Amino acid sequence: MLHCKSRTVALLAAALAAGSAGMMAAATRTLAQNTVKLELWSRQDPSGPLRPGNVVKAAERLNKELDAEGSGKRVQVVVRESPAPGFDDDALQLLKVFGIGQGPDMFIAAHEWICAFQADGFVLKLDDYIAKYPQHFGTIFPSLWESAKCPDGTYAIPQDAEARMFFYDKKLLRKAGYDDAFIEAMPKRTLSGDLTMDELIDIAKQVMGKTKVQFGILHRPSKGPDYIMVFQSYGNGFVDPKTGRLLLERDKLAAAFGWFERGVKEGVIPANNTAMEFDALRKQFYTGNAVFWMYGIWDLGTYAFPTYGLPSDEATFFADWGWIAAPAPKKGGAPGSLTHPIIYAIAAHAADPELAVRLLGNASAADLNTDHAVTTTHLGIKPEQLEDPRYAKAWPLARATELLKITRFLPNNPQFGDLNSIIFRALQGVETGRLSAKAAADFVIDEATASLKDVVVK
Amino acid sequence: MAATNELTIERRGHTRPAARRRANFVIFLCPAIVLTVLFFVIPVVIDIAVSFTDLSRSLRITKFTTEQYQRIFQGDRRLPEVIGLTFIYVFGTLAIFNVTFGLVLALTTTSINKIAGGFFRGVWLLPRMSPSVLYILLWLWAINPSEVGLLNQVLMRVLGLNKPLDLMTAAPIALIVISNGFIGASLGMIIFTAAIRGIPEHLFHAAAVDGAGTVAQIRFITLPALRWPISFVTIYQTLSLLVSFEYILLLTKGGPFYDTTVYALYVYRRAFESGQYGYGAALAFFLIAIGVAVALLGWRFFDMERLLQRPRIEVQ
Repeated sequence: MLHCKSRTVALLAAALAAGSAGMMAAATRTLAQNTVKLELWSRQDPSGPLRPGNVVKAAERLNKELDAEGSGKRVQVVVRESPAPGFDDDALQLLKVFGIGQGPDMFIAAHEWICAFQADGFVLKLDDYIAKYPQHFGTIFPSLWESAKCPDGTYAIPQDAEARMFFYDKKLLRKAGYDDAFIEAMPKRTLSGDLTMDELIDIAKQVMGKTKVQFGILHRPSKGPDYIMVFQSYGNGFVDPKTGRLLLERDKLAAAFGWFERGVKEGVIPANNTAMEFDALRKQFYTGNAVFWMYGIWDLGTYAFPTYGLPSDEATFFADWGWIAAPAPKKGGAPGSLTHPIIYAIAAHAADPELAVRLLGNASAADLNTDHAVTTTHLGIKPEQLEDPRYAKAWPLARATELLKITRFLPNNPQFGDLNSIIFRALQGVETGRLSAKAAADFVIDEATASLKDVVVK
Repeated sequence: MAATNELTIERRGHTRPAARRRANFVIFLCPAIVLTVLFFVIPVVIDIAVSFTDLSRSLRITKFTTEQYQRIFQGDRRLPEVIGLTFIYVFGTLAIFNVTFGLVLALTTTSINKIAGGFFRGVWLLPRMSPSVLYILLWLWAINPSEVGLLNQVLMRVLGLNKPLDLMTAAPIALIVISNGFIGASLGMIIFTAAIRGIPEHLFHAAAVDGAGTVAQIRFITLPALRWPISFVTIYQTLSLLVSFEYILLLTKGGPFYDTTVYALYVYRRAFESGQYGYGAALAFFLIAIGVAVALLGWRFFDMERLLQRPRIEVQ
């Protein structure tokens, strides 16, 4: 009897154990089913840690929204960091990752690459989603949307903007004998088209002649957007507005290369600028050994204030430092600036596109974007950010916003990244004396027509 | 007759059962065959296949084509320059450092005190033993174009030069030859040293008794004994220099402009920097073909087959 009882107890215990295990498994399954894991590809970039950081924060907000809606879904963001040294390398790497079917659900990229992803069908078209969620996207500056468009629609969400300029060291100009009236008038003269690209070389040469400063004009040592600003000043648009095809105009290319050629010939631009290290170049300018530094507004917040101790107070800063737009090529011509928005995009095969859109919508909230803007001196994406006291207090943003009136973008052509590699190579050829300005223009056209498709040459 | 039998035994081995011979074949040759197939034959086949496609930056093939080869022969204006530079780089490094300087090092370090010789050989081995990135970082510091660079410190403070010298812009080809040569010289040095040590000592004593000076001893005893090692080092280092570019990539990135873009680096830049994998594969095919041709020519020209049969540096 006892034997029989113990058998029954054992059977009951086994049944209970099996039942609870089954229930637990079911519960785990339900939980797992409701958590949507979205992977975000982001380049490790000290000039914008909150680009992925804001998406992670946005997941909390979205989960609260989903909870309030009574939805069982929850979002979890996994950030996949890429060690690429620049946005171009990062985009090339990501294209390969998508090519082998290992792409993320969302990614952060430089805007000019978006159509390269679109051309290969890797990225989700967003027009309908943007219209569906006006609370997230409705107030983003219309001009910024241009940077997110490909010929057949919108494929990205602008994440930030900035302005590129020529910073200058007023102390050196004063030391070289320029009076304050001249120095303070430079930004306005540039905007009115009175100060020209060649005058920039002359000023740098004068300062170098009268002081011990070693460098006149410095620019980035690697492939990137800044020097394209000079090409745009000389009328190179790079895209045929009618057809959207890449456009190369020999004379205009030669004119832009000619400016760099003259700079080197006059001893103002170092022949080995492209062989120098980024940090070494920055150091030369911020420690008073270069007159002009062609770069972007975020350099102040990322390096100039924290690393080189430049005054972060507006009045003190402008007492000794300043910036101008890219001057016009000839007197009376149009000056320019370049903004290079970074964008969020969603993969065509994303696990849950709708949730990804809402997530990036939350990440584009004014307060989160302002966190990014004020900590890294990037420009915001929405007008309401201008009312944020933190934004107003970050004076470089307000002052750089003045340049947005004359700003240009890099063309959103799938092949522009490749063309820029060729342009950079030619620029290196000109500065090191391997190519004349005219030969550089020929080189760009030869290389581009041989390796890129549908290039229009004039 | 006895000598012939000995030679036959040396060539064919002692007569053994067929099963044992097969087992030996599997044990001794299989690993080499598997490695060769995995890391040479299969990559070559893949390379040739890719060279007939339009594989580009997103790793997609949309068509099979001969466009890449047409481009090599018709559209690539950089190629003649790149090939010319490769020729200068390979033969310059080989002639100045890998063979000549390696030989000089071997001769000098074997003719001085044993401990001192060993020390200097150790010093010259350091570049080869250092990780490539560390080695190039040291170079970058040494040739830094500002006053901070080691070379400029010496030139400006000791020799009184006014402006710092920028070797990267002024003499980039010399720079890649020297930086690669410092590494390459050590292989020749070791092989030549071993060969010199293999020469029976009594020959030098006999020559000295006959009145031969150091130069005559080198010319009539050492160099003839080194013919085979020199052949080996020349062929091996030619192939090695043809295909290796990591030090150049780290030091000059192939620049300024295309000044230090040797053929192998050109292939890399086309394929991996521009994402033109199909074109890169077609360019790489010629590298493979040239590599095989140089190896075969060298084999023939230097009569390497004889080198592998019997030790030649021993004097009967």
